[in-house]
Amino acid sequence: MLKFLARSTALVAMIAASSLAHAETLKMWGPEQITEPLVAQLWNGIKADFEKANPGVTVEFMPPTGTISNGAVQAVIQSDAGPDVILTNSGIGRISVVRNAKQVMPLTEQYEKRGWKDEIYPWLYTELKGQFGGEIYEVPDGLDALGIWYHKDIFEKAGWKIPATWTEFEALTKSIQETGLQPIAIGPRTTGSAGHLFGNLLQSASGKEVIGKALRREIAWDDPSVAAGAIRLQNLVEAGTIKKEMAGLDLDGASRLWFNKRAAMFVAGPWFTANARKAGYDLANAGYAPMPSDIKGAAIPTGGVGWSWLVPVNSRQPELAMKWIDFMLSDAVMKKRAQDPASTMIYPREIPGVEPPTPVLKDIFAAAAGGVGYNPSVYLPGIVLDTYFQVIQGLISGQVGGEDGMKQIQAKMAEAK
Amino acid sequence: MVIHQTPGSKVVAPLRDAPAVAGHTGGISARMSERRTTGAASTAGSSAGDARTALWLMAPALALYATFTLLPIAATFWLSFNSSAGFNTSASFVGFDNYAKAAQDPIVWKSLVHTFLWLAYHVVMAGGLGLLLALAVSRLRITQVFFRTAFFLPHLVSLAVVGVIWANIYDPFFGLLNTALTRIGLGAFTQGWLSDPALVLFSVNVASSWQGFGLYMLLFIAGLQNIDRSLYDAAEVDGANAFQKLIYVTLPGLREVTTFVVSLAMINGLKGFATVFVMTNGGPFYQSELITTYIYRLAFQSQNHGLAAVLCILLSLLAITITILFNRWRARLSQ
Amino acid sequence: MSVRNREWPVALALAPALILILAPFVWLVVSSFKTEAEIGQADPFTWPADLMWRNYLDAWQIGGFGGLVGNSLINLIGVVLLSLITCAPAGYALAKIRFPGREWLFYAFILGLTVPVQAIVIPLYQVLFGLNLINTLTGIVLVQVSNGIPFGIFLMRSFFIGVPDDLIEAAKIDGASHLQILTKVFLPISTPAVQALVIISALSTWNDFFLPLIVLISPEVQTLPLGLVRFASTYASDYRLVFSGTVISFLPIILLYILMQRRFTEGLTQGAIKG
Repeated sequence: MLKFLARSTALVAMIAASSLAHAETLKMWGPEQITEPLVAQLWNGIKADFEKANPGVTVEFMPPTGTISNGAVQAVIQSDAGPDVILTNSGIGRISVVRNAKQVMPLTEQYEKRGWKDEIYPWLYTELKGQFGGEIYEVPDGLDALGIWYHKDIFEKAGWKIPATWTEFEALTKSIQETGLQPIAIGPRTTGSAGHLFGNLLQSASGKEVIGKALRREIAWDDPSVAAGAIRLQNLVEAGTIKKEMAGLDLDGASRLWFNKRAAMFVAGPWFTANARKAGYDLANAGYAPMPSDIKGAAIPTGGVGWSWLVPVNSRQPELAMKWIDFMLSDAVMKKRAQDPASTMIYPREIPGVEPPTPVLKDIFAAAAGGVGYNPSVYLPGIVLDTYFQVIQGLISGQVGGEDGMKQIQAKMAEAK
Repeated sequence: MVIHQTPGSKVVAPLRDAPAVAGHTGGISARMSERRTTGAASTAGSSAGDARTALWLMAPALALYATFTLLPIAATFWLSFNSSAGFNTSASFVGFDNYAKAAQDPIVWKSLVHTFLWLAYHVVMAGGLGLLLALAVSRLRITQVFFRTAFFLPHLVSLAVVGVIWANIYDPFFGLLNTALTRIGLGAFTQGWLSDPALVLFSVNVASSWQGFGLYMLLFIAGLQNIDRSLYDAAEVDGANAFQKLIYVTLPGLREVTTFVVSLAMINGLKGFATVFVMTNGGPFYQSELITTYIYRLAFQSQNHGLAAVLCILLSLLAITITILFNRWRARLSQ
Repeated sequence: MSVRNREWPVALALAPALILILAPFVWLVVSSFKTEAEIGQADPFTWPADLMWRNYLDAWQIGGFGGLVGNSLINLIGVVLLSLITCAPAGYALAKIRFPGREWLFYAFILGLTVPVQAIVIPLYQVLFGLNLINTLTGIVLVQVSNGIPFGIFLMRSFFIGVPDDLIEAAKIDGASHLQILTKVFLPISTPAVQALVIISALSTWNDFFLPLIVLISPEVQTLPLGLVRFASTYASDYRLVFSGTVISFLPIILLYILMQRRFTEGLTQGAIKG
């Protein structure tokens, strides 16, 4: 058996090597949901265009088994299994993990050489430049904009509206609760999902500026001005607005409550359209609004870079990977993606004259047009993240209070320094 | 009195062959085999040629075992005295730093406590259920194979798949458990099975024990069939009732199987990983974190290999301690 | 007193336990035939209006279960064969040949029986990486075999010890070598031990999750339990697929078990007792 295995592996390796001599293969990690027919159709189209433009090149998709957060990306780079270019969930916290492990190439030069810096929003470029002392390791593919999703029909029938202020919002959750509906569903077992609602609450209670300062360590996380959002979550849990049982749910378990209209609101980003489509939810019925806030200008979506391109240090086709990124940033591809029904995100630059394929995306783009706030999950350093997510689980399961939880996050922030 | 050896069941045979029950757990069987080796003097002479032959016969096993087990055991020790930020980075000697860090890490202590609780739950639930069902099933003749087969089915499901199944059973809003309780009018008993901090470790363990009890049941059935029938006859002559027979004949007769099952269940519990990983990943707020899940997170997500190595050594020491303790217990029983 | 008149009362008393223990299976199978909307109604006591065989078809295709089953089988066959090839000779040597260092080797193997694989996972990963075996079924086979070697050796050894030495002497007089004695004399009369080794190593390989999780990265080499967990988290909002995929993942082994339950039971208890 061993011999057989060894021989067959050797044989496969030989075949692979010999075919490499004739043609080049670009192995791409991603995109998520490539096994979905709609998504596959879009990406196979892009692949075909690229292969046509680059004769002799074959693009191969590797269905992702996870993200940087659960170690899947590190594992695949480490294993030498061969992705030459990677599309995955990003943000400075995640990127710093693979950067510190020396797993991804710096791309700073390419930004100048290939003009990428002019192909993304200027503010985005400035932000990336500021993250690792001028070195950039990622090329943003899509941005996130997290806010409240609600059912238009239910809200209309009950005469509800997502209000402007937090006080009114609390009143709204009470009247929803009285009807027997779950006011807000959340699935904190999926760590990212825990962060979506929490980031919304932090910004709503403290404003974008304060959270930005906390992320830059200019204010402590247990400072009352930052901790206010955590205390809001604690209060929501104590009032039963967020059921403690939710602590045992993951993103899908929680969104299932929303898709089945057993929950009124759900905090998510544009990517939620993909989940909705899979669950058979009528997207025309989906409404979107930022989390209300008493602070002026704070009622905007939170977010940041959601997905990025990375080039692993052991990429066998670094040059081809750069070409691929060029191609992805081109007008033609961006327009094609933005208009496609499988489109689920905000693109890294403005694409004029493109109508979003689903109405709710239009609402999201409009809400995000004035800029987005911080989703701490994508900005926090890697070693703080685990504590951050566990604290949110602790808040929702009623195990820690807001102040105490923020103290624990602050302790990790101090350690990360 | 019929000695009931069910048709189609030969579980009796292996027990009769063996003078005592020994186990997976190494020390036990090692000691036993050792005793038998010397006792039976079963080696046929010795010569230099024989030694070479023995080496050749052992070579394939030794090569694999040295590469994939012995070397990593040694390397884990080395790693625990070094700091390393990941697989690609170089390590530096830090003495007992990692051990000190582990002692100060509250999650290490939490995971240790949870691991002990987890062992206890598993032994009581899976071992206990296995014993109870074995006592009942072994009384059956016509339907024994049916019940034995049916009760064993959960053991065939991979623990990871068990995790997927039970995560759905425990879903607070759509899961089998809460919806069924509500439908039969026991809505007051619905729980957040995986969110309640006091409940989550227990809930996940129920899933693991559901998968685990079948094997223990089979072992107990084999043990029951090995009890000398004449003891029951004698007890009957003395006028013992069913309960007295259970207390004075059955349970003492199962002592050795029981020590074996308990040690096996403890080692299985110590290795518990898949159900927790799939169902809660240690949450909420570390309430179901085990040593194994924490090792995985430290090693493969946070890339903190030094601290992970310390936990690895802790895990090994626990396993070795359990084995030695049960080895002693068993030795005392057989005296 | 007769055992027979207890049969039906005991069987009747066991029935509720049976229902409770098998309820997860029943619920899962029934749910796997429902539409997504029926599942969403969250009523465990309703039957599906139509049997949605499509769920199975979709799950099979989308989840690539054919490939997963194939990988699991390659994994299983590799481990079983290699375990026999390594453990039988080693068990024989330890049982029937006296050589210096035997005790020492024995204790080295005891160590392997007690140390859980989770406790050596970091260097293990590095060893596999160094040998270029990450993300290969070969890598997983070698580690699983190594993991099972202590148990397999003990099992074979304790069986071989019971074989009378006269057989060896007689064969030696006929001019047989130790390898010939092993293959021509010992193995043919060791069916119970071999059966136990096959069943126990097959079952633990089929169900392993931890090693595949760490070693097998690409979907095309993943085994069934890992593939199902990945599938379930990717398609979690498509519960009909999660349920039917789960049923697919355990159906083959359950059918196999029901067909061969006697051998299974014998092998498992024999192995546990002898090893």
